[in-house]
Amino acid sequence: MCTAPAALLAPAGGGPALHGSDLIAPLPPAAWRRVTRAAGRSPIGGPGGGARGGRRRMSAPLRRVQQAPRHLLVCEKGHARHPRSRHAAHVRDHAYNCRVSILIPECGILPEVLKSTIADIGEYYLVKNLSVHELVAPEFIDSFVKKGSCYALTYNTKIDQDNTAAVIPTGKLILSVDKDTYEELGLQGRPSQYSGKKAMRYIITIDLTDSNFHPDGKKHKRVLWALKEKKPLEFDFLMAWYNTGAEGSTLMSYFPKNQIRALKPKITFSTLRDLQCPALQSNELEGKPEESCSTEELFEWLGAVLNQVNLDNKSSSFLSTYCCPQPNTTVDQAFLCTITGFIIPDKIIQLLEQLCSYFTEPKLAHWLTLTVHGFADSPVSWRENEHGFHKGGENLYNFVVFRNLDYWLQMAVGTNDDCPP
Amino acid sequence: MPPPAAFERRVLRNAAGHHYLRVRLELPDGGARPSAAQLKQLVVAALRELHGEVGAALPVDVLTYEEKTLSAILRVVSSGFVKLWSALTLLGFYQNRRCAFRVLQVDISISSCVIWEQ
Repeated sequence: MCTAPAALLAPAGGGPALHGSDLIAPLPPAAWRRVTRAAGRSPIGGPGGGARGGRRRMSAPLRRVQQAPRHLLVCEKGHARHPRSRHAAHVRDHAYNCRVSILIPECGILPEVLKSTIADIGEYYLVKNLSVHELVAPEFIDSFVKKGSCYALTYNTKIDQDNTAAVIPTGKLILSVDKDTYEELGLQGRPSQYSGKKAMRYIITIDLTDSNFHPDGKKHKRVLWALKEKKPLEFDFLMAWYNTGAEGSTLMSYFPKNQIRALKPKITFSTLRDLQCPALQSNELEGKPEESCSTEELFEWLGAVLNQVNLDNKSSSFLSTYCCPQPNTTVDQAFLCTITGFIIPDKIIQLLEQLCSYFTEPKLAHWLTLTVHGFADSPVSWRENEHGFHKGGENLYNFVVFRNLDYWLQMAVGTNDDCPP
Repeated sequence: MPPPAAFERRVLRNAAGHHYLRVRLELPDGGARPSAAQLKQLVVAALRELHGEVGAALPVDVLTYEEKTLSAILRVVSSGFVKLWSALTLLGFYQNRRCAFRVLQVDISISSCVIWEQ
């Protein structure tokens, strides 16, 4: 990757530097160039004009060949015990999680602090051939949506091709439907943000906990008529329900036995030997040359470890030249735990708290990581942000928790996604 | 103990240096399976065929390769992503045997290259 001389990036005419604020660290030159090109409207004489004036303009087809799909990586740094820390809020806002991976360097077996949380990870349910109008039934809303947190997501539907439905824990039913279904349903929605000039995809949001949405109201009658008679929609759903209060009826007892199946998340443990781990400093997100690695390098390394990629390659190797970022240390062993299934954010918050309490006793490890992947075909990513599948459907986040309970949080989204909160 | 870290937030737009592709090679004739080095050679040949010598010089890494399923994870510089994907799409022959590359997953971070099946 070529780097532009610093002079080209300085604003011409002594204008205000765009990266002078304490909160926004200066971006590396390559990302800075891409931001101004994407903006496309920087005034001549500003930083964009200065950068463009210094290089030959590339032709449009050549520029398109060199453009990779749009993506975002949000990196946050904070302290887990700070009263205004938002780490738990970020986890809670990401409703649908399909895989959780925990990596603890200098650890060979499952730590005591995690044993009870992992044993009590809970179960989720697969409900086959469930009509969507049953999710707006007053009994379902009163038993599950209004009490505790109810999570429902259609299973085996593709977000860019099929109709999808989801119930988020704030009590909203989200339907992501194609144009024909939207017109046949007759419910009010909005076109998808990522459908271009001709809207081919529509999002319908129904607030099930709204005070106007009661069985005698017009709203409820209209929704029920649309989903039951006008255009019945039926899907397989993955469901989970979390309630801290007294045990009421459970999902298992609500649906008929032949329709619902309880499943437990799959948990695997492994110990990695002689693993090269990057050296990190919790205060330095960008990394310091010769002292610590940056957050992007760690993110890439972590992905390599989770996919069992060989990290020991020479620069002259034919197959792969990927190696662990420098500076790094080699640890004798590292513990990797992977949980796959329909995992709810409340359990992940518990896991995160237990991982923070891992460091209450002195440990050899300087940091540990918790990586959570979202579903590629879910209609929402964080909160109610629309999620789509362009060339990839990634919406994942990764925590790095340090010994002193500082944390790094990286949130990655793809092309058809809003910036995570 | 160092002091607690102050809050900081950085948003990096299109800043990933590399892109990752999970691909599978389909060889319907059921003959001998290529090794990892042969797969890399095939990828380089595909780039040379479509994008010439400059394309063939693109740094592509074969990070993982499973000979049984013929699936691999490739890593390429972000600016060469479109060239690599187009070259893989238009590749038709491996040692005079009909073949096809299926691109299963494409991501900016290799950690998203996970496949969850019920």
